[in-house]
Amino acid sequence: MTSIRTLDPRDAADPSPAARAIRPASLDGKTLGLLSNNKPHSEELLRMMAGIIAERYSLAEVVEYNKGGHQWPADRLALEDLARRCDVMIHATSE
Amino acid sequence: MQIEKWQFEDWEGALDHYFREGLTDGLPVVPPTPERVQAMLDYCGLGADDILGTEGIRHKQFPAGKVAVNAVMAGCLPEHFPVVAAAISAVCDRSYNFHASSTSTNGIANLVIVSGPYAASIGMNHGVNLLGNGNRANAAIGRAINLVKSNFYGSVSQEMDKSTFGHSGKYSFCFAEDLETSPWPSLAESKGFRPGSSTVTMVAGNAPLQLETHGDRDPEGFLTAAAHAMLGFGPNLSEVVLVISQELMAYVAASGWSRVQVADFMHEKTLRTTGEWDNWRRMDKLPQDADRERLLGCVSGPDRITVVPAGGDAGEFMAIITSWGSSRSVTREIAVPN
Repeated sequence: MTSIRTLDPRDAADPSPAARAIRPASLDGKTLGLLSNNKPHSEELLRMMAGIIAERYSLAEVVEYNKGGHQWPADRLALEDLARRCDVMIHATSE
Repeated sequence: MQIEKWQFEDWEGALDHYFREGLTDGLPVVPPTPERVQAMLDYCGLGADDILGTEGIRHKQFPAGKVAVNAVMAGCLPEHFPVVAAAISAVCDRSYNFHASSTSTNGIANLVIVSGPYAASIGMNHGVNLLGNGNRANAAIGRAINLVKSNFYGSVSQEMDKSTFGHSGKYSFCFAEDLETSPWPSLAESKGFRPGSSTVTMVAGNAPLQLETHGDRDPEGFLTAAAHAMLGFGPNLSEVVLVISQELMAYVAASGWSRVQVADFMHEKTLRTTGEWDNWRRMDKLPQDADRERLLGCVSGPDRITVVPAGGDAGEFMAIITSWGSSRSVTREIAVPN
């Protein structure tokens, strides 16, 4: 019987999806970061979510950052700064 | 490079596997045997590990071997691979933003425009039905880019590719410039490449909008019609490709208009005040204190309009292809093997 050998077109080096960050047990005393992609209403949506969270938990601080556009990645230095300052982040897209 | 090999009893078994694994665009593929892939690489003098480009956002490298596997699957012949290799190099330029354009709801396809003598030497279509079906080189080269995007880059339909509509160019979107009847130097030369060179220009392109303008022999007339059609796309386009068919190009040639003049005219004809664009609901987040009298065109300047003579020999048609978001078209020279 004849056989045929073929090759895999995929990227064998593709890393597995990033692991989820460990979730804090409570948001009390935590700093919440809001990362907007600058789409219409994204900041409104994020602030609305922050408001709901603030009703349930005693947040230490809310830090807002708008990455300036949805088409490009956020500035690396800005992300590193947010990672230092914030305990949890919400990134939102909206229209 | 170690590329995983699969073994099957027959081609039908191989095809079933590629469908099952989600490695096709919905149509059957040519099973990529090691021999076919090696022939593709040999034609270009490339090794499987040679890197054709590193994508500018995720920094993913595109090895020639994996690109060749996808090119074989798309139906490419070895002589098509220099175009595919140049196209992959082009989309890796950060300004093209391959990542975002491949994932966006906007649903663009990667348009391949080939200019220069290499297109004719591999039998590409620059004439009748050039944006349609029927030509192996056009079909396979365009398809190869899309298979690389989905199979290798991971922008799979309904997964990372979140196109709201998409368009049929996602199967294949590739044509050649008409250098036989064009009165102008090639697109390659207009992009700054040496005379006689062959290039590929990649555009993150939306579906073509076809315009019919029978009866107007004055370029000002039919280009005004084209400019007005562009207005519907709004003032925030990154780039536009205008394809002009042979009959209309004959009128352009008779009028002595250059490629630059056509682009200049098109840009000027789309200039409207910011207030007018806003009234048409084509301005996002216009500040209260914005200057509503400031003029804006569909693109920021005439250099963002690429004019390409191509299309069938009958019919006074143009096609407008708008680009995605902030993506810039990128042109690369095709490394033509000796």
